Parts: sequence; structure tokens; C-alpha cells
Amino acid sequence: MTGLGAVSPFGVGVKAYWDGVRTGACAIRPITLIETEGFRCRIAAEVPGPLPGSARRSRADRLALAAAREAADDAGLGPHERRDSALVVGAVGGGMLEAEGWYWNLRRNTRPDRAALARLRAILPASHAEAVGSALGLGGPRETIVTACSSGAAALAVAADLVAGGVAPVALAGGVDALTRICYLGFNALKLLDPEPCRPFDRDRRGMSIGEGAAFVVLEDADHARARGARAYAELAGYGMTTDAFHVTSPHPDGEGMVRAMQEALACASLGPDAVGYCNAHGTATPQNDRIEARALRVVFGEGRILVSSTKSMIGHAMAAAGSLEGVATVLALVHEVIPPTAHLTTPDPEVAFDCVPGEPREIALECAISNSFGFGGQNVTLLFSRI
Amino acid sequence: MNPAAVITGVGSINAAFSGGAEALGAWLARPGSAVRRSSRLGVVAAEVDLALPGRFVGESEARRLTRICQLAVAAGRVALEDAGLGAGADLSLVLGTEFGDLHSTMAFADGYLASGPSGLSALLFPNTVINAMAAATAIAVTAHGPSLTLNARTVAGELAVIRAAGMIAGGRVSAVLAGGVDEINPRVSEVLADLGADAEVRGEGATFVVLESPEAARSRGARVRGEIVGVASRTLPARPHGVGRDGASRAIPIALAAAGLDARAPGWVYASLGGDPARDAWQARVLDEALAPHRPPRASLRPWLGEHAGVDVLSVAAAAWTARSGRLPADDGEPARRVPGGQGLVHGLARGGTEVAMVVR
Repeated sequence: MTGLGAVSPFGVGVKAYWDGVRTGACAIRPITLIETEGFRCRIAAEVPGPLPGSARRSRADRLALAAAREAADDAGLGPHERRDSALVVGAVGGGMLEAEGWYWNLRRNTRPDRAALARLRAILPASHAEAVGSALGLGGPRETIVTACSSGAAALAVAADLVAGGVAPVALAGGVDALTRICYLGFNALKLLDPEPCRPFDRDRRGMSIGEGAAFVVLEDADHARARGARAYAELAGYGMTTDAFHVTSPHPDGEGMVRAMQEALACASLGPDAVGYCNAHGTATPQNDRIEARALRVVFGEGRILVSSTKSMIGHAMAAAGSLEGVATVLALVHEVIPPTAHLTTPDPEVAFDCVPGEPREIALECAISNSFGFGGQNVTLLFSRI
Repeated sequence: MNPAAVITGVGSINAAFSGGAEALGAWLARPGSAVRRSSRLGVVAAEVDLALPGRFVGESEARRLTRICQLAVAAGRVALEDAGLGAGADLSLVLGTEFGDLHSTMAFADGYLASGPSGLSALLFPNTVINAMAAATAIAVTAHGPSLTLNARTVAGELAVIRAAGMIAGGRVSAVLAGGVDEINPRVSEVLADLGADAEVRGEGATFVVLESPEAARSRGARVRGEIVGVASRTLPARPHGVGRDGASRAIPIALAAAGLDARAPGWVYASLGGDPARDAWQARVLDEALAPHRPPRASLRPWLGEHAGVDVLSVAAAAWTARSGRLPADDGEPARRVPGGQGLVHGLARGGTEVAMVVR
């Protein structure tokens, strides 16, 4: 991994992101982007303005472009590398926020203007890849991956395959999602939102907080990176991708698919569980998901053997961006040997047999770490990073 | 020339026919257009009017699944049956779609706009996520490997096949259901028309191919219907939603080189020509330049079955049929014409610049 980029609820840039998550700051605040009247939960983690980029682009395209550009610049990718670079984007909402504005007006019999109609061209999740690829001059394979809330992590896994398989020497990969009404309304309908900032792994947790953002990384063939003198942050040493094939919204009660994803990642990296010291958990703070993830972690790593924390306690659940934002946090934890804490965790759940790093960051020597991401449809992705 | 993957099964639910490789071959031998004015939808389109429940999807399943999920589940089951693979096999899934389930997204929003918070449906919400069709299919066929959804305009199905072939070639999986699915939505058609992007006739349906590693197919004695011997996807310079000026292909030379072939080798081409004049002209220019001075005969299934991600995958299955039979679909209602069998090219080009190429033999 030779480049990192992030736009998070802490602001634009990897530095702002790491400064926020490292210290356990909370970016979950009252929602300003969409109407929330009539709902119990009225908070989320929004990216603060002003956003970089043209206001003619969708909010999600602007988030994606800013994070991707930072990662490409950070890696020092010149025109030559960009021409052959693959682009893999994990996405769900696309330009839905702007499309909703158009549709709401249409339904309320307010005739939308031509500009609003034109923005529907960017409604599809694939629009981010078009915007980023065109702006940065990326000429390799271009794919948009949708695996719901694990999309951002799946994008990194697919990009790793493209690089490892020799399809492209360099890949820019990441995830993006902007806050949308559909997402907010949907998780309200499922009664999964906590009216207070979420509390992953807390005994009294009451659900998730939603968020938004984008994070991209540059993955590069090791020889290629060495040959051009690029700095490497860490190695994406392995990944696992599995499907529960159990239920559309509920994970398998034993975490069977999660266990397989983590075991596949270890096997892919030719490592045993003892090599891993930290898990950046999916950690949504719903009562069911945290319990099942903890159970799966215990099966793979043994009770209490690794440190576990949830970045979502600070930046909410950024949907398709979650996997890549949390992947970046995991890499920075390796680089700095500091584990970001789980915010708002005051009463650890006795069913979670791990030290979940409550409140304060933890300094620790660390060689390998994993990042878990799970999505609707039982789509499980584990990324395994190791120090260079 | 070792194949990246072999095709051992086909399943398609589309506006013209439903079934496996035999049904596809029968239709390709004398194809006819399924495009007509739909009284249900109020648009000219290639509509699937098949009642799915009872034939491919159980009654109770049909109550739980949206129509687009039913299309995907049905096609997936037909493809597995065609391949002689039972549920529970070590199976992965890659599904391409252009629009996903916008019908459910609008219905979900309509509930809220009509009745406020009490109008929200927890059952509809998961279908607003574009991976709902892959999730439903993975559950229906018990696919425990990776299940990816690829979103792209015009070439989503081809990208799914290329991704699946890459997963097999990488040795991580041995069998993949690779497909495409889309559904016609009158409001989407209306918006596309308002945006001036209605030159293409939309279609709907789902098509899967079963891809396996040559070793896996051989070891279980599977019937191989075709081999994918070279794949590539690249991006040509173009603005978002736009067509490019450059006629130089990036994907075709790579796909041919992977197959150990040169520009003289393809005996025929399945293209993504679909009625968008600017895009079609661009693709014709790219094919002309990449294969010059040769000009193998071209076919496109889109004028008969409409633009949708399923037809992308059907083109791959059709290429396997042409490679075997030495016949390429001709004009509407006419018998397929004779072409050199052997190997040919599946090529797709989307506005925005995504180019895909596959060599099938």
C-alpha cells in the first residue's frame, strides 16, 4: 500500500482522519443534510463542509474524488502509472442524495428544473468510478463493486487480485458513500439506529449511527513500488471473502461466514492466528451483530487473545465507505503502533470476550492486524494487513 | 493456450426464451426480435412476460422476492441444472447489473412520501441496495464463496464474466455463477428519454453462465460448452457519460495476447451495438482498428432482446455456441449464417470508456 486518502466526518485528508480516530473523538452530530422530523434518531456523522470539487458533481462523487486524488498524489503516481492503473470502487448509494431531491420534488408536484434532471446521470454507483477515472486519467480495468456495507473492503480485495494476478501493476481502490434519505429511512424502518452516538460492544448498546465518507488506497506490486522508489505503508497480505447464504439482513447466528472470511484471510497470508494482534471490527453496535462478530473472533483467535475496537463509534457506519475507511485506520494503527479506541464504551458486554480498547488509544507493538466488514446479504470480507 | 475458465452451463430468462444452452442454441439458429410495445409498462421494450412462480421459483419464495430477484434466482437455477451442479457445490457468484432494483427504491420512498415514518417498509429497504439480487440468488443456490455485484453501464454482465474468470484463474474458487440482470422500469425509461438517452431499446431478464476451472470441470466429467481463453477490461479516454474520440482499443490486444492469438484469429465478433448512434459508431471504429485489415462478421443480440445486463452474458454464451456450431445469428427471423467456427471475440464498450474483450472458443 503506497498511498492513502480519506474524507471523513473529521474533514478532508488522512491527517484529519487519523487525528480524530486516534484520539477517540466523536464526529456523530445532529443531521443537517436531510430532514429528520418525526424520527427518534436525528444524528449521524456527516463530512463537514465545504467539500472540495465542483458543486455540479454529486456529493458522493466529490467525496470519492477528493479521497482518490489524495491517495494517488500520496503514492506519487505520475501519468505513466495512472495510464495502466486499475480503479476499483466500492459503492452503494451512488448519486442517490441528489436523485432523492429530484424525486421528492416530483412526488410533491414541484416541477424539477433541468439541472436537477441532469444530475440523475450520476445516480448509479458506477458514476464514482467514471468521475474518478476520468479526472485522474486512469486507463486500466475499472470496476464498481457492491456488497452492501462491505463494499469498500471488497474493492480492496478485488484490487489486490488484479495486482497479484498481473492484470495491473497499480490499483487505486476504495469505497465511498454519501448520507442519503433512503439509507436513513431504511435503518429507521429496521429500528437499528441509536438516538445517541453508537456504543459498539457496550452492554447497553442500542444500535448504530450512520455516517458518510470515502477512503482510497494505492495498491502496488511490490517490485513495481520498489523500482520507482515508492514508500510503502503496509502490505495487504491476505483477504477472505465469503457469503453466509443464510438471510438477506441477518448474519448467520454462529458467525459461520465471518469465521470463514477470517480464516481465509489468514490462509491467504500464510499466517496463523497468533500472528494477528488487532482487529478493527465491523462493530456496528447493534445488539445482534456485535455479539455474533465477537463469537466469530473467539472461534478464530481464541478468547481475549487480540485487541478489538470499532471505528464506527467515532465516524458512524459509512456504508460502502466503511470498509476502506476502517482499512486505512487499521494500516495507520500498524504504522504508528497505536490502536484507535472504541468511543462511548463504558460498560463492556460480558458476552464480548475481548478487550475492546474503551475510550483511550493503546500503544502496542503490532505486526499484523485485520479489518472486518460485513454486509446485507451475508457478505463478509476480512482484510489482513502486515507491517513492512 | 490454456483456458482461463470453461463454460459448463447456461441459464437465461429473457424476453425471447427461457432455458439453458439448448434453448439458447434453438433461438440463435433463427432469432427473432422480442421488442414490442408493452401494455403493462407503456413503453417499447423487450419485456419478460413469463409468470415465474411455479416454474422456476416456488410460490412462497415468490412472495418474499421482488420480480428482479425472481429473474436472477430463476436463471441461476437453470444454469446450475444445465451444468449438472447441485446446490451446495463449492460455488461463488458474480452478478452484473446496470440499474438494480430501482422499482423497490421508488416504492420504498413512495411509502414515506405518502404516509411519513409509518409508511416505511422494513421489508422493502434491503431491496434498495443493488446487491439484493446477488444475495437472493446466493441464498437460493447456497453459494458460500464470494458473491459480488458489479455495477456498470452497458457492460456490467461482461465485467461479471471477466471478474469470475479472473477469480477462477487466480485459483481461489473452482466454480462461479457469473451473470447479469436488469428489469425495465417505465420511470427510468422516461428519465432516460428526458435526458436524451433513449435511443437504445431497453430489455430485461437474467442470464447466468457457470464457469469452472478446466480441472474442476474435467474431474467431474462436466460437458464443456465453451472456453474463455483470454479476457481483458481497460478504460478508453472519455468523459463521464461520453464517448471517446480515440479508436484505439486497449482491451482487445491484451485479450488476444492472453489467448496466444493475433488480430487475424477471431472468426466473428459479438459486439454491444445497441442503438446508441454515437456509442455504436465508436465501437465500430475501435473494432475496425483493432482487427484491421480483417473485418470478421459482427452480431449483436441487443436489437432483439434489448439493452440489459443479462444480454451481455447471453453474448458470452452465444459466442460459445457459435464457436461450436460455426453459425452466427443473422437478421431478424432469418437462419443463422455460416462463419468459421473456432474462436471469436466478445467485445463491449460503454459510454464513459469501459472496454471489455473476451476470446471464446
